[in-house]
Amino acid sequence: MNTIEVHGVKKEFGEKLVLNDISLVVHKQDIYGFLGPNGSGKTTTLRILLGLLQQDEGGVRVLGMNPVSAGVSLRRRVNALPESHGLYGWMSSQTYLKFFAQMYGVTLTPQNCTYRLQQVGLSPNDARPINTFSRGMKQSLGIARAMINDPEVLFLDEPTSGFDPRGRREIHDLLLKLNQEKGVTIVLSTHILDDVERLCNRIAILDRGKVRYEGRLALTDRNQPSRYRFHIQKGSQIPSSWSYPGISLMERKDSWVTCLIDGVSPAQAIKTLVEGGLAIIEAEALSDTIEDLYLTYTTRGADE
Amino acid sequence: MNSVIPLIKKETLEDFLTARGVFSLIVASVVLSAFSILLVSNIELSLLDNAQAVYLMVSIILALASLVAIIQGSDGFAGERDRATLETLMLTPMTGQGLAAAKLIAMLFSWLILFVLCIPYLWAVGSTGQNLWAAVEYLSLMGTLLVLIFGGLALTLSAKVKSFRGVLSIGLTVFLFSGSPVLLGPALRQSAVGQMIDLINPFADALNTLDSVVIDSQGISFQVIRLTIMICYALGVLWVLYTATKRVEL
Repeated sequence: MNTIEVHGVKKEFGEKLVLNDISLVVHKQDIYGFLGPNGSGKTTTLRILLGLLQQDEGGVRVLGMNPVSAGVSLRRRVNALPESHGLYGWMSSQTYLKFFAQMYGVTLTPQNCTYRLQQVGLSPNDARPINTFSRGMKQSLGIARAMINDPEVLFLDEPTSGFDPRGRREIHDLLLKLNQEKGVTIVLSTHILDDVERLCNRIAILDRGKVRYEGRLALTDRNQPSRYRFHIQKGSQIPSSWSYPGISLMERKDSWVTCLIDGVSPAQAIKTLVEGGLAIIEAEALSDTIEDLYLTYTTRGADE
Repeated sequence: MNSVIPLIKKETLEDFLTARGVFSLIVASVVLSAFSILLVSNIELSLLDNAQAVYLMVSIILALASLVAIIQGSDGFAGERDRATLETLMLTPMTGQGLAAAKLIAMLFSWLILFVLCIPYLWAVGSTGQNLWAAVEYLSLMGTLLVLIFGGLALTLSAKVKSFRGVLSIGLTVFLFSGSPVLLGPALRQSAVGQMIDLINPFADALNTLDSVVIDSQGISFQVIRLTIMICYALGVLWVLYTATKRVEL
């Protein structure tokens, strides 16, 4: 059973279509990254997965349950760090953790509270109110709260924003440890491509409410989708309608096309294209960094 | 249910440890002190019958309790939404109805504290006269019902309207609307229409009950209709709140 399944989800806010036919799958123990520019629908997707918003169309299953109807029984097994930390400024970090532990019915001993605060790099003896904390400290406390019920699935919205490089590395290590040792499935939404490269094994790139790319992040894996640029003989025509199985057109110019090859070998792809009338003179494998993917799918939509 | 208790505790502490909570307590103390001093020392007001003075004080206390309940109710969901803390609460294994119940119970705790704070002032104004303890007893009952009605209504709106200011302005308008018939002249209030408006208005019901108990020394049998109407309002508001918080959205 997949941990998360999303099929054809649509969501509108008034007249604005925020999510348009979103489909994706997250497997158990994945660290799944949502990438996309502001307003691409990442936070809305996370809120739908958490049952905080109801989609207008489509189906969502998290741990086999409908997030809206399962409600409390699902929320016992998952947790999240929202974009806004959701901190009570008048509380101390210890009071805050204890409050949420009680809300989840978790017994938090003083030792356990100390451990959890230290785990995210906070001092357990700091009795100052939270509103005096730095942004990074607030973020750390939010992460400690999100782990208070030892969730099976952890949703994180921009988890490392506000951290310095050392703090970011510590959070990366913590999340990897949670994932590898405790088997926690992690879904994170982020702008920070370094987070994705270090943490995620699968990603979805969202742009203007659509999933433009979804798949594994092992970009060098020969079985995975990869980008090729095919240079075309001068004077040769590129077919106006593009329907080659396993070969998606990403970008076209007069003298070349960039394609995403998925499920076929480069040799097979070249053969298919040549048989389809494309006079290929050179094939160039493009190095796919996460940044390349992000820029490709967000600046020029895959369906354009 | 286990989650309700820590939330009640948090809400109650928030009412005392935050600027908002301290401010409302200070305002209540200043208002009560000012009126007590006026009733005892002002030449014209001190000529009032002792029962009249007690009645004036309990009326002010009821208005304060209703106002505090409206502010707290408005803050219940909408304020948390504005401060971006609602999302984390909604992530906990607690239903919207559980959240609403905890917040309503916390409002009743606040009312209890205001009530305790009022007793010395009432004693200062009415200790030499009659019906002081009847006034205190009925004040506790009327105050609880008004807090449930106005606080519950504000909390219901708060679950649906997205901004604290929006809910607060609606809540205050409803409160002013329900308080305004009390300001009508005696002749108009004695007319059939006036009596009807008085009867269906929960705030007027509370004041008229206290008038009947404190000034006219009438027993419970005279209060049954008004009490029944107020209880019906309270139950109605609780039902609406229950329905509205079945699903709370951000």
